[in-house]
Amino acid sequence: MVHAVLVLAAVLSVFPLFWMTTTAFTPNELVLRKTFRFWPDEPSLANFRTAFAGYPVAAWLWNSILIATLVTVGKLAIAVPAGFAFAHLRFRGREAAFWTIVATMTFPTIIGIVPLYVGISMVGWFDTRAGVIVPSIAYIGFYVFFMRQSFRTLPREMFEAARMDAAGPFRQLLQIAIPNVLPSIASLSVISFMGAWNIYLWALLVLDSPEKRTLAVGLKAFTSIDDHQPMWGPMMAVALLSALPVLLIFAFAQRFVMAAFTGRVGE
Amino acid sequence: MTRKFAFALAPWIFTGPALLFAVVFLYLPVVFSVGLSVTDWNFIRPEANFVGLENYRRIFADPNFRDALINTLIYCVVLIPAQILVPLGLAVLLIRVRQGTVANGYKIALFLPTILAYSTAGIAWLWLFDPLNGFFNTALGWVGLPPQRWHTDPDLALWCVTIVAFWKNFGLNMLLFLAALVSIPKPILEAAALDGARPFWRFLTIELPLISPTFFFVAVTTTMGVLDDIVGAIDVLTGGGPYGQSSNILHYMYQRGLQFFQFGQASAAAVLIILLILAVTWLQFRMFEHRVHYES
Repeated sequence: MVHAVLVLAAVLSVFPLFWMTTTAFTPNELVLRKTFRFWPDEPSLANFRTAFAGYPVAAWLWNSILIATLVTVGKLAIAVPAGFAFAHLRFRGREAAFWTIVATMTFPTIIGIVPLYVGISMVGWFDTRAGVIVPSIAYIGFYVFFMRQSFRTLPREMFEAARMDAAGPFRQLLQIAIPNVLPSIASLSVISFMGAWNIYLWALLVLDSPEKRTLAVGLKAFTSIDDHQPMWGPMMAVALLSALPVLLIFAFAQRFVMAAFTGRVGE
Repeated sequence: MTRKFAFALAPWIFTGPALLFAVVFLYLPVVFSVGLSVTDWNFIRPEANFVGLENYRRIFADPNFRDALINTLIYCVVLIPAQILVPLGLAVLLIRVRQGTVANGYKIALFLPTILAYSTAGIAWLWLFDPLNGFFNTALGWVGLPPQRWHTDPDLALWCVTIVAFWKNFGLNMLLFLAALVSIPKPILEAAALDGARPFWRFLTIELPLISPTFFFVAVTTTMGVLDDIVGAIDVLTGGGPYGQSSNILHYMYQRGLQFFQFGQASAAAVLIILLILAVTWLQFRMFEHRVHYES
């Protein structure tokens, strides 16, 4: 009984992805002829060829990789030192600064989208990667919180001993603190990369030229073609391509992903 | 001397960038929204005039805004309980399965939708919903039911968005509940079982209170998600349509501002959303906080 419910739920949960995969490997003519197969008789890569030939899919892929990587590097470069300072340094205004940053977790992601869009246009970042990357780095509330919790699990004596050795705050961070919280950093890197890979609405607004888009945004180009014959096959091929990296990361770093999503520090 | 200086300066070097990013890209836009909401400024006309509450008056007179408000309410009433209770139920079932490959398989299958982009998820569903060639209409045909227009039907669009938003988000809550349930100490559960309490009663009186911090956290984040995350699903599936029948207030704000370039009205909507979120969050803390059991 328990298994029956779980199997049903799992099948319903996976089905849209499964159907996307089936369609991606079925030639588009067959897709449109409603010859339903749960797996194509002759799996073909024709849809991928059509997509790569008709759209700058390779450029989208590269842009997605670049943007996701840079957002992740930016977030960690900012959140890790901040988390360390909030955990182990004593300074005036510490609590106020901490909550100022962490409170942004409650902001709806697109609440400031109008002024942000105006600002990005004014500094000439419209239709640039920087316009997508830099504002996306700012969502670090959870990251700073998570890093503070992680650094807090390290005993204070660790740093007092380091102080005796005349280690300054920068050496303490780089040589003592960071090497001891690597699992936490891995967790945050993974969810940051996955999150940035999936940035949609903001990238859709900022990236205008077709070849500057990311996969998540480029996908939308397929849905807005009304005059041609429907391109469901190639569309699913690109959708699969856009899902693949996050699925792979999840497959290989499942432990880190789950630890980050459930906020469990140091696992 | 230099080391002392380093220790005095280090906190601000370490936390400065984080503060700067939060202030510039998250706080300032909100402050600007409040300012813009009382002006008639937009890209086309460079000069800004103070117009008082005119923008607020206009959006309240806009039937699309009223629809968006009603839809927001429907999304909340349907999705918040669904996204809490179904994942809780699944988590309760999952801890009863012996740990191993099978249990892990369930977990992965149920969590997969959560990690996808809204555009990817939305497109996979658009294909299922497609009135001409989609799977759902074919499946309806198999059992002799008439085809539907799904997301292009004004009466069904909102429910299509609801399904996709639910599908995309239940996995995370399930994982959170699971993590909380697993962490309940075994002796407590064994003692309860010895008392002969019925499983469901045991769940209500022992397990549920013990995971109440998680329950509270999930309730708060789910409420936020129903307002916020759903915008991605709306945009890909329906664009808020047909006739604004599946829009919510954040999507309305986005459309006003960046599709129609009515910055003032969009900002007025943003301010109302912020007030609404503050009110709801405050209410949730008032309602739940004192009932939540934290471990000492």
